[in-house]
Amino acid sequence: MNTAMDDEHDEAPGEQTLQFRALIDLPADHDAAPPSTEATTEVDAEADETPKDDPPETPEPPALTPDEPEASALDEPEASALDEPEDSVPDEVEASALDEPEASALDEPEASALDEPEASALDEPEASAPDEPEGSVLDGPDGFAPDESENSVLDEVEGSALDGPEDFAPDEPGDSVPEESEGVVAYFEAQDVSQESAPVAEATPWTFAAKDAEPEADESASAAEGVVAYFEAQDVSKESAPVAEATPWAFAAKKAAKPEAVDPSSRRPQDPAPAAAAVPAPAAEAKPWAFTTDADAAPSGDFEAAQAPAAEREVPVEDAEREVTAEKAAADSVPHEGGAEGTSGGTEDGGPAAEKEEELPAEAAQALMAAIGALRESVAGLRFGLDLPGADEAKQERADLVAQLEDYVLPRVRMRTAPALIVIAGSTGAGKSTLVNSLAERNVSRTGVRRPTTGVPVLVCHPDDQKWFAEGELLGRLRRIDKQTSDTDMRSLMVVATEKLPQGVALLDTPDIDSVVEEHHEIAHRMLDAADLWIFVTTAARYADAPAWNLLRLAKERGARLAIVLSRVQPKARDVVVKHFVRMLTEYGMGEIDRFVISESKVADGKLPDSEVTDLRLWLAELSVDEARRALAVKETLNGVLDSFRTRVPALARHLEKQVAVRTELRGDVDRAFMGALTEIDKAFGGGALIHGEVLARWQDFSGSGDLMRSLQIRKNGRVSKQASERIIAFRAALRAGLESVIIAAANRACEEVIGRWRHRAEVGATLGEGLDQPSDELLRHAGRAVSAWQEHITELVRTEGVAKRSVSKLVSFDPDSLSLIFMVAMFSGGRTEGVPHRLVKALLGAESLRGIGAKALSDLRARIGMLFDEESMRYVQALDSAGVPDESAATRLYQATYNLEVAR
Amino acid sequence: MTVATSKPRLAPRLSALTKIVELGPGRLDQKLLSEAEALLLLAGDRLKLSSEHTVVALAGGTGSGKSSLFNAMSGLELSPTGVRRPTTARTHACVWGLEGAAPLLDWLQIQWRHRFARASALDKGESQLHGLILLDLPDHDSIRALTDTEADRLIGLADLVVWVLDPQKYADASTHRRYVTELAGHEAVTVFALNQADRLAPEELAELVIDLNDLLRREGVEHPSVVPTSAVTGRGVESLKSVVAGAVSRRRAAIHKLEADLHRLMQRLTKSMPVGEALAAPASVDEARRMGLTDALCDAVGVPAVGEAMENVYAERSSQWVGWPYPRWVDKLRPDPIKSLRLEDIGDEIRGITTGSVSAQSAEVTNAVQALADGLTVGMHPVWNTAVHRAARSQLAQLPQALTTSLTEVAPQLDRVPGWWRALKVWQYVLVAGFGLGVAWLLAGLLLPGGLPSSLQLVGDTEALPWVGLMTLSVLGLGALSGIASRNFVELGASKERERLEREMRRRVAGIAEKMVVEPVETELARHHAFYSAMRGLSG
Repeated sequence: MNTAMDDEHDEAPGEQTLQFRALIDLPADHDAAPPSTEATTEVDAEADETPKDDPPETPEPPALTPDEPEASALDEPEASALDEPEDSVPDEVEASALDEPEASALDEPEASALDEPEASALDEPEASAPDEPEGSVLDGPDGFAPDESENSVLDEVEGSALDGPEDFAPDEPGDSVPEESEGVVAYFEAQDVSQESAPVAEATPWTFAAKDAEPEADESASAAEGVVAYFEAQDVSKESAPVAEATPWAFAAKKAAKPEAVDPSSRRPQDPAPAAAAVPAPAAEAKPWAFTTDADAAPSGDFEAAQAPAAEREVPVEDAEREVTAEKAAADSVPHEGGAEGTSGGTEDGGPAAEKEEELPAEAAQALMAAIGALRESVAGLRFGLDLPGADEAKQERADLVAQLEDYVLPRVRMRTAPALIVIAGSTGAGKSTLVNSLAERNVSRTGVRRPTTGVPVLVCHPDDQKWFAEGELLGRLRRIDKQTSDTDMRSLMVVATEKLPQGVALLDTPDIDSVVEEHHEIAHRMLDAADLWIFVTTAARYADAPAWNLLRLAKERGARLAIVLSRVQPKARDVVVKHFVRMLTEYGMGEIDRFVISESKVADGKLPDSEVTDLRLWLAELSVDEARRALAVKETLNGVLDSFRTRVPALARHLEKQVAVRTELRGDVDRAFMGALTEIDKAFGGGALIHGEVLARWQDFSGSGDLMRSLQIRKNGRVSKQASERIIAFRAALRAGLESVIIAAANRACEEVIGRWRHRAEVGATLGEGLDQPSDELLRHAGRAVSAWQEHITELVRTEGVAKRSVSKLVSFDPDSLSLIFMVAMFSGGRTEGVPHRLVKALLGAESLRGIGAKALSDLRARIGMLFDEESMRYVQALDSAGVPDESAATRLYQATYNLEVAR
Repeated sequence: MTVATSKPRLAPRLSALTKIVELGPGRLDQKLLSEAEALLLLAGDRLKLSSEHTVVALAGGTGSGKSSLFNAMSGLELSPTGVRRPTTARTHACVWGLEGAAPLLDWLQIQWRHRFARASALDKGESQLHGLILLDLPDHDSIRALTDTEADRLIGLADLVVWVLDPQKYADASTHRRYVTELAGHEAVTVFALNQADRLAPEELAELVIDLNDLLRREGVEHPSVVPTSAVTGRGVESLKSVVAGAVSRRRAAIHKLEADLHRLMQRLTKSMPVGEALAAPASVDEARRMGLTDALCDAVGVPAVGEAMENVYAERSSQWVGWPYPRWVDKLRPDPIKSLRLEDIGDEIRGITTGSVSAQSAEVTNAVQALADGLTVGMHPVWNTAVHRAARSQLAQLPQALTTSLTEVAPQLDRVPGWWRALKVWQYVLVAGFGLGVAWLLAGLLLPGGLPSSLQLVGDTEALPWVGLMTLSVLGLGALSGIASRNFVELGASKERERLEREMRRRVAGIAEKMVVEPVETELARHHAFYSAMRGLSG
């Protein structure tokens, strides 16, 4: 039941070529109808009830609810179409139908609508003939009944709602009114389960108007457009809930030439129009949501959907009737054919036929290929530099994704009708190779007592298929070999052809999933990624092993088609073991999967007795003959894989975002620490912290020893004394040392802070920060150089720009070296503007010039220190970069690629 | 008692481990630390409990036949076997020789109803099994085991583990990766039973045993003891029994097991904190480093500069007091730049500067402490490196203030005036007066030879005049000389004072450094040393 939804997206508006890939056919539904007696009866009952709450024309009102305000709120057809069902359906579907819960649940309404019929069609047979492998493969519905003991009616309806309108069609009151070329099929199911509270029931009908291109099984069907308005209003009012909750869903599906198995309801053959028009009615009291999946359906898609059909419908009312009958005939005929081959087989026949006829239009296929290719590009281009928790998993996941895209998805999408690849996976010693040998009736894969036995995957197929596997792109990255030679390794794939295997299916014997040779696990998982079907082999001794169940969980997550072989069962313990295993499977929600039990028996020449594998062989043969079912399985698995991308790719993107975020944080730590250091230095300068210790002593020395006075000289004959005393030199040196020490101390602290923060933030921070917990060796040298350069700069400033006040310069000359020192003391002695140095420099230079020099000096010093710190912080940035720079836009590209893929589907 | 004789080997290592656990917090990885604690606890418990018993656990994957083997060994159907997987959910125990086993079984947390006893005396030929506690563990690899760690726990507690493997599962990652590889050092207390041998042809069995041996060797089990068994046919059960009996009768398995555990923990500890050269790191702060720190701190306070400033300022100021006045008077005639800048009052302020106190520059103090810690921690493990740095900085915030306060007490009063300066000044002025007197005498004698009153007859004595002139000149020279001399005295005194001052300041700085930096650092260094000594002790 998968993908019907894909089609919506693909579909060009107006075109109704159906690419209904959900290989399920309507005819099948017809089948279903007869057998599903319970369902029908219940539905009938419901149908009867409906009138109670609703105005006379119950069916009609709900059909089209475009008018509802909410309807317009749901403007985005696709989004809502996708989401809604997902939310509402999954629970039940999960519980009951294990096979394709996601497919049906996630995929649009149509998918479910269309698919279901099949499910039910299949189920019935299964019920009657449980042994039928197909039945269980496709099963699902079985689960319903037991689970929903409370209100079986409701559940049934729900199930069928998801499943297939067709089931109900025949019985439903307002339902299906197939029209001719532009027919409107309005399905309405109003199930009121509510007892007393019926009137108060809060109805939430959802209307899906989906333009659905559906392949028709009968070539006779015209390729016209049909609109199926499907409405189910299920009033689920339970006693516990004060207000009955009703969830009518209305699907208005425009289906291409879909003479659907909908039996024209004999009661209201001409209903389509009224039904469509009537929808609004219930809307009044209910809250119908309308989803339009029409490609061009805008906000008002519902309206269109409702009205267009309405318009169309007028035309051929009679035709509709005629059509209906014609279809009924067709529908009738189909089941018979199907019946000839077996119920389930018949059902599926339509699928492949449809697929072949309605292979994706070239553009759509192109678009899908392009989207997948783009996804592959963006996934392959990912780089996870930082060794964060989860990074290894992300790397592994990236490799897996790329491998799966290249090995499986691309080839499979390109060539949908290729033979199905059945991967046999399981624990070491479970007998996978023996099984393959037995099925192939020759020793293609080595068996033995050594564990693990199989290291090189072996692919067995019919000679006709050999070309595809030997040259095809499927698993294209593995080197093909003919026989095991010494140079075989994990990257090889042995392809063997044998007549014993039916055409269209290929078996792949894989390495184990749980031996000590861990490379085997990886290669096995890679094989499974490329599988169309999985055969999981376990043994009586192993069926409770954790790795086995991990694999089953994986299969469940991926939505892969699965069959289980329980081998090495002691004949006398067979009943107990099988029963227990089945119970475990059932508890795990996999009770309906195909199972084969192989007894422990003497293995001769690497093969089991033929009798043990008869069932499996039959199963394979059926798969081979029954292209429909095979194609369905292939498709389901492909869809499961494509579906899995919805979560797997965004998970990757999330990790990438985490990487980027962590990197940004780490980077921010560096910046913050060094900014903090600069601030600290500023504070030290401003707070006078520099004028301590030696600087203070030297200043005292300089001023107290009279050098200060001597540096100021009365101008005499323009002569300026130039001797720089020892004291001045020492003073200057002390200032420089003081400045340096402030810088170094701040840098030390900044470095420690960076490392501290990094360690605190992430494990990777500690690794990256190794050896960086101290400033570089050059810092001291560079700081000394920067400070003395600054001092020279100040002296120069004082000399050139500090041309003192005219009045002063006539009288007094001064030694620029000394004055620059006094200036520095003034600058660093903080806010005290009353001090000697301040007054001196002010008197000498003038307030104006002092301010200018002061501002310049400070900003110059800051700039120099800033450069020093930049160099220091570069070391950290380099360390970060050395770990690899994640591309910040890659996550967005991933999301985009995922979205594009969804659109292309 | 055999245990007693072997204890000397185990005991010092355990006490070393105790030491490590004591010193480890904050230094050692928390997980390792708690493992070490757990091992200490385990060792303590096990050694306290019966040394007469040997706990042998049958471990393995589900379906390998642990329970069957358990029953085969005990000869009774004690543990239910079955085909459903997993079969055994609770551990069963069978004891040969019950006395003293109960506390041990309590410790192992074996439920009462799963305890069975065999009076070994009654079993012919099984007397060597006396003291055996055989455990049948649940599996460790089924989905049930994901939520149940019983097998895990008992594998860690048992003295001897018999891994029950079977032809299907003998190479499972769940067994090998999680246990066998991890416990590679436990080969003395590990036995591999290759069960279900009856399912194989003899040549297959031989191949498989070889393969298993190879596999185990690859995983670090150098001399694996592999016993093929078959619980169904009973084949090999006797040889497994005898292997177990050997361990049981030696009564050494518990000790071996603990030694192996210790060894394994030691390896992990060593990996996390390699002993390497750690013990070569200084255990205390040596004299050179103390000197270095004191020097650096003195620089931070500016001790040499303070001394120099004091010397210079004294010299400058003394000239005001003890210098020959005339040059000063001459100086004063020069135009004063201060005055021309109209900053007349600044002169006092400049003098005020010189009365400033001593203070420490905090950035330099920080760097000095950092340098000490850096020097001490070369090659140290980052954790210890950080710890030493933290210790060194523990009182860094108060250090500059402490230095400043302490040194200010001894800081020189730059504006103080010693008494002899005043005396000298008086003397200088006396000389100035003498000179003035002489000049007056000369002038009077020369200009007014006769006009002098008789009382000043002597002045008019022309013969005396040359002598007077000579004397006047002498006074002048004396004044200049005494000025120079006293200045020299001042400088001499100042330099002596400076030496004294610097010594005193240094002493105080060293004292403070000792108390506020060196002591905390040495505490940490001692801890470091003790830790690594214990590590060495642990490795025996």
